[in-house]
Amino acid sequence: MRILTTDFFFSIFRIATPILLATLAAVIGEKGGISNIGLEGIMMMSALFGSLSAFWSKSWVIGLLAAMAVGLGEALLMGVFAFKLKTDIILVGTAVNMIGSGGTIFLVKTITNVTMGSALTSTTSLITKELQIPSIHIPLIQDIPVLGKIISGHSLLTYLAFLLVWLTIVLLYKTPLGMNIRSVGENPNAASSVGVSVSKIRFITIGIGGILAGMGGAYMSMYYAMGWSLDMVAGRGFIALAAQSMGGGEPVGSMLAALVFGFAQALGIKVSATGVDSNLVAPIPYIVTILSLVVFALNQRRKERKRYRGAA
Amino acid sequence: MSRKNRTKFSIIRGAAALGIGLLVAFLLIFFGSEGSTVGEKFSSALDALREMLISPLFRKDGSFSLKNLSDVLAGMIPILFTGLATCIMFAANQFNLGAEGGIMLGAFVTSLVAIYVPVPGPLLIIVAVLAGAIASAAVMLIPAVLKAKLGVSEMVNSLMLNYVIMYFLNYLMKSFLADTSKGITQTFPFQDNALIPQMINNGSRLSWGFVAGLIMVVLSWFFMYRTKWGYGIRMTGINQPFVMYSGMNVAMIIILCQVLGGLLAGMGGGIEVLGRYNVYNWSALPGYGWTGITVAILAGNNPLYVPLAAFFMSYLTKGCTLMSTNTDVPAQLISIIQAVIFIFFAAQQFLSGYRQKLVVQSAKEEMAENNAGKEALR
Repeated sequence: MRILTTDFFFSIFRIATPILLATLAAVIGEKGGISNIGLEGIMMMSALFGSLSAFWSKSWVIGLLAAMAVGLGEALLMGVFAFKLKTDIILVGTAVNMIGSGGTIFLVKTITNVTMGSALTSTTSLITKELQIPSIHIPLIQDIPVLGKIISGHSLLTYLAFLLVWLTIVLLYKTPLGMNIRSVGENPNAASSVGVSVSKIRFITIGIGGILAGMGGAYMSMYYAMGWSLDMVAGRGFIALAAQSMGGGEPVGSMLAALVFGFAQALGIKVSATGVDSNLVAPIPYIVTILSLVVFALNQRRKERKRYRGAA
Repeated sequence: MSRKNRTKFSIIRGAAALGIGLLVAFLLIFFGSEGSTVGEKFSSALDALREMLISPLFRKDGSFSLKNLSDVLAGMIPILFTGLATCIMFAANQFNLGAEGGIMLGAFVTSLVAIYVPVPGPLLIIVAVLAGAIASAAVMLIPAVLKAKLGVSEMVNSLMLNYVIMYFLNYLMKSFLADTSKGITQTFPFQDNALIPQMINNGSRLSWGFVAGLIMVVLSWFFMYRTKWGYGIRMTGINQPFVMYSGMNVAMIIILCQVLGGLLAGMGGGIEVLGRYNVYNWSALPGYGWTGITVAILAGNNPLYVPLAAFFMSYLTKGCTLMSTNTDVPAQLISIIQAVIFIFFAAQQFLSGYRQKLVVQSAKEEMAENNAGKEALR
């Protein structure tokens, strides 16, 4: 069997997109000193409301915007608990994930029962081809042999996600806001002493993350799968945290890490097509996460040792 | 703040958190309930809420239901263990979320021993449960050692391990262990002497594992509050540099608390399967690990309060199940209530204005007493 087909490379980008969006959320969050483990739950919730809004409004644009709004709202709510009520951010994230798992099924049943008269347990029947986030065929590039088939024809959000990597770099390193985010992340007291409103910056940081995770959720329910179903995000929010730390917290490195996860999962899908038990293939991304965190930590340690030796 | 005021504050704070949780539940039920007018919706929402809060103990006619109570107590068994596991890990600030995978692995390994290993009499129960506990503790070594030696986030690793454990066990079940004569994926039945006897034979599955859980509560409390290692664990959570500079082995403490967490979670899984079923048929993570986290937070990481918190969670879960059978409110409402109560319990500054008032009040009282004493001396 040939594995390295154009289809395969195409699927890497397709699979990596939601992870990349969440990874950027994690990158910006960690730069601002916020470990947002609630990305998973935010993606789940925005995936649900994105698909529902798209169905109600008959427009994928509204669906996408609604998903981003829900992501933003949930992130700001997390901010209220974490920064105003001084709740440990990890516990806030855990609560968001609880709601993202069991709470979404409650909401989808209740909402569809009220609006349509029958309690649905997923929205897979509601999202049709017209409501899917559109794919874009890039003129000229799509005619390039091999490369065209890999790069062209992806979802709008896939291109947006890679554009956002660049925007994240610009935001973090070329704007006053990015400077403030990083300074609050590194030393909130110092930032505060020069007149930066720490609380405001933190809310902005977590809010941006919420919007990005919301886009990731919309991609899951309105492009990757047609419609929302329970636990469809399946740990991508957590994998994003791993990608962030594997990429050393920098946008480009984390993007590459997200692509590694895309590769691992695409490979898994290929392998399972040959008849290998899916239960052996499904855990590959999670195992890759653990291994890559270890490799990253070992690398980091070696670098530090070198630096000490250099200094001595 | 005086001791009396402190107790008063924590009771009021807890009650307020519960109140908010129930209010959110009420609003959600109200939104989804049937009825054309607001009044009708209101009364049907009230009915559903009453169903949820009262039906776990009382029947429709108001008489006490022992069966429902024993259901609630039986439901406590797994979350007692995951709650204790999470208490010990969180007390050291180790946010290991692996109790979920740990309880599944413990249940699985215990089941294998209960099916295939010939051990005479009730000894089999002990051997099987210990095997499950040790397997789960061994797996927890992975996030624990990686955290202690390399500083890798135990949180991400334990979450990833949950998924790995689930898929790997499902693979083993499907490929090697399933009893293929059955329609669903399940193992062959346990040996008869592996089943944990029931305390009440009314179908609630309230086994003697419940008592084992309570014993573990006491042991965990003793370990955490009366031994050197327990002190080290708690101090690591409060002030890690202090523990390091006072010469305790921080890496060892970080590993120990997570291994103990795994041990307890695995034990809980083993006791749960042997007390409730006669085959193993879990195909997904059971969710007890997450409830255990809530239990630990409600208990303030103190093992002694774990039974209370576990009872509360089990009661609410049972209430939501009964509510969903008798009304058309989905049982998953429990996740939302759980999350809301959880987060208000965890919020340090929740009602801080009120706490401030109590502090000022007791300070004033103290000053008044002092002044009165001085007056008397004159």
